[in-house]
Amino acid sequence: MNEVCFKNIDKENPSSLATYEATGGYSVWRKILHGELSPEAILGELKTSGLRGRGGAGFPTGLKWSFMPRNQDGQKYVVCNSDEGEPGTCKDRDILRFNPHSVIEGMAIAGYVMGATVGYNYIRGEFMEPYYRFEEALKEAYDAGLLGCDIGDSEVNFDLHTHLGAGAYICGEETALLESLEGKKGQPRFKPPFPANVGLYGMPTTINNTESFASVPDILARGGQWFADLGVPNSGGCKLFSVTGHVTKPANFEIPMGTPFSELLEMAGGLREGRTLKAVIPGGSSTPVLPAEDAMKMTMDYDSIEQVGSMLGAGSVIVMDDTTCMVAALTRLAHFYYDESCGQCTPCREGTGWMYRVLKRIMDGQGKMQDLDLLTSVQDKIMGNTICALGDAAAMPVESFIRHFRDEFEYYIKHGKSMVTKVNSDG
Amino acid sequence: MVDIEIEIDGSVVHGHSGESIISIADREGIDIPRFCYHKKLSVAANCRMCLVDVEGNPKPQPACSTPASAGMRVHTNNEKAKASQKAVMEFLLINHPLDCPICDQGGECELQDVAMEYGSDVSKFNEGKRIVADKGIGALIQTDMTRCIHCTRCVRFGAEVAGIVEMGATGRGEELKIEPFLSEGIQSELSGNMIDVCPVGALTSKPFRYEVRSWQMNSVESVARHDLVGSNIFTQTHKGKVKRVVARDNESVNETWISDRDRFSYEGLTNENRALTPKIKVKGEWQEVSWEAALEAATSGIKKNSAEAFGALASKNATLEELYLLQKLTRGLGSENLDTRLDVANPSSTSALETTISLAELEAIDHALIVNSYLRLEQPMINHRIRKATLNGAKVSTVNSLTFDFNYRVANSVLSAPQNTLATLSGVLKALLEANSLALPDYLKDTKVDQAQIDIASTLSAAENAVVVLGEQVNSNPCADQVAKLVTQIAKASNSKTLNASATGNTLAAEKVSFKPNGGLNAAQMFTANLNTFVLLDVYPTYDCVDSTAAIEDLSRDDAFVVAINSFEDESVLGFADVILPLASFYETSGTHINIENVAQSYGASVKAAGDSKPGWKVLKVLADLLELPGFDYTDSPQVADDALSLSPNVATSEVDIIAMEVPNIATVWQYTPYASDVLTRHAQSLQQTQIGQISEAVVSAATAKILELSQGDCYKGVPVNINETVAEGCVFVHTNQARQR
Amino acid sequence: MISDKAKQQIDTWVAKYPAGCQSSAVMEALKIVQAENDGSLTSESIQAVADYLEMPVISAYEVATFYENYNHKPVGKHVIRFCHNISCMLNGADDLISYLETKTGVKIGEVSEDGLVSVKKVECLGACVGAPMFQIGDRYYENLTQQKIDEILDGLK
Repeated sequence: MNEVCFKNIDKENPSSLATYEATGGYSVWRKILHGELSPEAILGELKTSGLRGRGGAGFPTGLKWSFMPRNQDGQKYVVCNSDEGEPGTCKDRDILRFNPHSVIEGMAIAGYVMGATVGYNYIRGEFMEPYYRFEEALKEAYDAGLLGCDIGDSEVNFDLHTHLGAGAYICGEETALLESLEGKKGQPRFKPPFPANVGLYGMPTTINNTESFASVPDILARGGQWFADLGVPNSGGCKLFSVTGHVTKPANFEIPMGTPFSELLEMAGGLREGRTLKAVIPGGSSTPVLPAEDAMKMTMDYDSIEQVGSMLGAGSVIVMDDTTCMVAALTRLAHFYYDESCGQCTPCREGTGWMYRVLKRIMDGQGKMQDLDLLTSVQDKIMGNTICALGDAAAMPVESFIRHFRDEFEYYIKHGKSMVTKVNSDG
Repeated sequence: MVDIEIEIDGSVVHGHSGESIISIADREGIDIPRFCYHKKLSVAANCRMCLVDVEGNPKPQPACSTPASAGMRVHTNNEKAKASQKAVMEFLLINHPLDCPICDQGGECELQDVAMEYGSDVSKFNEGKRIVADKGIGALIQTDMTRCIHCTRCVRFGAEVAGIVEMGATGRGEELKIEPFLSEGIQSELSGNMIDVCPVGALTSKPFRYEVRSWQMNSVESVARHDLVGSNIFTQTHKGKVKRVVARDNESVNETWISDRDRFSYEGLTNENRALTPKIKVKGEWQEVSWEAALEAATSGIKKNSAEAFGALASKNATLEELYLLQKLTRGLGSENLDTRLDVANPSSTSALETTISLAELEAIDHALIVNSYLRLEQPMINHRIRKATLNGAKVSTVNSLTFDFNYRVANSVLSAPQNTLATLSGVLKALLEANSLALPDYLKDTKVDQAQIDIASTLSAAENAVVVLGEQVNSNPCADQVAKLVTQIAKASNSKTLNASATGNTLAAEKVSFKPNGGLNAAQMFTANLNTFVLLDVYPTYDCVDSTAAIEDLSRDDAFVVAINSFEDESVLGFADVILPLASFYETSGTHINIENVAQSYGASVKAAGDSKPGWKVLKVLADLLELPGFDYTDSPQVADDALSLSPNVATSEVDIIAMEVPNIATVWQYTPYASDVLTRHAQSLQQTQIGQISEAVVSAATAKILELSQGDCYKGVPVNINETVAEGCVFVHTNQARQR
Repeated sequence: MISDKAKQQIDTWVAKYPAGCQSSAVMEALKIVQAENDGSLTSESIQAVADYLEMPVISAYEVATFYENYNHKPVGKHVIRFCHNISCMLNGADDLISYLETKTGVKIGEVSEDGLVSVKKVECLGACVGAPMFQIGDRYYENLTQQKIDEILDGLK
């Protein structure tokens, strides 16, 4: 546990340059500055490592980097997505607070591999403590001569800046993030063109999640195969999981891919006294909910979670026990997507509000039986029809909650109140 | 671009690689529903209506943003595509009000049309519909944003075409709102196009509001004649009245846009000041009479006096046919006293400048030097082409006496009062010739060259496709002919094209029929020659003449017999005229406009002439017949146009010497707002209420104001003084909607 | 409209972006101006930011209305931003929000009479392992209980 991004988390001053360097930090970057590591070698190791994007989509990182037109003239950019906001997710916040140098080194390496000399770390606007920590680390790195122009006479250039968000979940979508970085509303762009061709300020750009960048230095220091072997086939390495909700010790855990869910649940202290597991959202609010028995079957890797009917997403495990009213939980999630839809494209702008209102009506005791089919039909009409994934993200919880817990919704509609007597609260 | 084959709905079609599916489908006549896509605007892909099934893609793809690639197989109406299209339609309708019966867009609404095909009869939406409080955006566009479907065409139009980013999409999610920042009104001179691009009834024509249902109107093809472009339009009429004007596509002329002036000027047609009945003045009193009586009075008045004492003055906006017949009549009588150049300070030195560039070519220029022009307001559609060029990197330089608000960046801007313009242009020419080691003509020997002039010259030299544009403010310059000569020389020395925008409307038709004196008197001379007979064709001296006071005084002489063939009555005309023959106005007569490319565009009458007024060509034909002049046996206006177009204009190329004439130390540049540029627009109410229509200021620098003893808020020639430093020293720039005063 | 100090702060952000891309700094510029203006934006301040960054005012207004961190009505000296998303909800956020409303006498979206606090319900703040939580200024307060809320409120001046 805690071997990569969190390896210094229990040390004193975990975020300092000294701590980072004491555990091998910047050794890969120094090799690059000494001309001892080629971009091709790095790409090879990354592909071997099986590292997949940690922001949720799970796209192989090595492959993504290889899409950049490395030798094309002109400015290129590396962008880190620290706009963490998927409900249930809070891992990047801890990386920024406790291991900021791994992000800096990962981004610098990425810049070198892709021929990008400027990077931006987009940190969500509310993350002020992580922002200050990251800025401190950035200053340390500049002061130590690790960043800048012609670093240590190496002819390698890399400048890194932070950019702060201002409160919009959608900016976690990579093209919305680019729009936001350009000082616009965070409205996702349609693709193609992809950011690797037309990205920030119209130039080739690669965007990765904080955890993905933070994982890169150790992968290269210890070898792609070492990382791959930590995990299981098709899910290389270890990954951070945020376990929240009805567990006694909610926390972030960096564990090998393929760890059984039951073990992760135990690490988080298990359920509270006298409670039983009802449901789990395994990858953040956008991934389909799983009933307890399906959840208990899964191991924490891409394939296993897909087999039981959901997605690993950002590794945000939301645990719900038998006191949870699923109607209320879904209504809350529906409100979230309704609130965070950018409004650009029709199905999401109109559909998220529609779903929320129907659910709200059910919660107010005004539901009708046909509302359940209506909700299913509305989510189905959003699904696949929008510019970005927020539409699908709004649709999937609705579909899965109703499919797995239809009786609870029917009860609520019939009786105007929840089937669960102690509702959603431990307060 | 490589030609490729793709398959749409089973048929093999051709396109270019990278071209969008929707553009290929449109060319092939395959119908794909859409709201946000507009061929002239950037792709937004936000409405999702054009989702189609592209084989190999799990998700449906938007036809507007998906580039075609060889061998692609597209289905626009299989089950998957239909399901997505119907889903989007359902979402668009849930919050759209069901107020079609009171919506002006009803019957021509894209949402309504597509809903007929893709919508469902029953709505499953039982929640409250969204209501949007909207801001007013001025006198021309009626907003009803509850109907908005957020396609952002209007937003993109503003940013991309109008070049003034006024409308935006604010808020987010369901609260997304299309609105301007403040409600002071849209400022663009092209704003009305937002009405045309709006697919629903969110933005509709304010003057047209609740007038008539769209399907009750006839759409008549016509041509706008307010400027040098002759934008193609449809006049939409109901019960003999023009109710609305909309753009008619003509890629080589106005593409798909029209200016607000062309769109809203029709309102003037029903203004209470229209001249509706023939009148004669008997012992100082006006009497309404029959056409026969009025024509008889006109004829006998004209016959009374000699041809030498006869003068004809015509509006620049008259039709080719009217100008042709009036010049034929004048010359038939034996007079050479005829002119349209009433607003030119010195008609004997008019700017003679050939236009050597087409509208389409303007888009491909890499540099424009604009001289004496606020082109954006003077010639909106010409300016639009230059703006398109600037979007591709073209640079713009200006030599003007005031700093104007162009909708593109001006790289080099030289402020120059009229009396200094010759020196400025001479400097540019000298810098050009010296840079290219060419011989200097004598008149440049003593010319001093400054850095700003060198900058313009070097930008011109560096350009491969430059154009020099001369605008209408040159008419305030008594040395306009010399300015034009320098412009010609600058163009020659820099291998640039030229564009003469110094006279607007149907000026090129006047040129075509030589509606100017060949040895006779010009407009200014006519008012000092004690002429006995004047025929005015839609001329209103208070607005149209440089020295309106002198003109009116002369026309008011007891021994001056004035026949006014006018579409409007105004007080001064009633004062000096002896006969008023009511003239059919724009859209009430057939006619021909000759545009900047020398393209003659003919049109028929859209509506019957108001009251007892008659088309000018008929009036002039009958008048000529009564005057027993030969060669007027026309039975329709196309015959007149044929004769007119067969003329070879008398292009007298007189050598112009560059010798600066004496000009006052402090010059006045007089420019009307575009909505005071001709008699019809001046009577169009809504245009007058816009920000552009309300402009009236005499801009003067502090130093010049001191010399003239003017203070802020004083009046200069009747126009409020505005002292600031955006204006050249040594001149007063009057930009106004008010009539000229001495 | 914008103080020299604020302009300096804005300039440090502008310096991060390529020449001509100064509008990238609009989000921070609006925050800086908002902070100077007792926590909320006005038409004038949005106009001033747009002018300073040489961008169309409507574009600045779009940004100001798109992101949640901007206020368009006066707010309290301390804005309590209470997360009510799923992990916090599962851990009793709703009851605590009601408690906070009662305790301060301030309803969601309103400002206390003395202008000291206003309360806002917000979406996930990305501190779900510390649920329930809220944010005041730059700081996160996690694992909230009624007692902890009392202490925090007592500390607000």
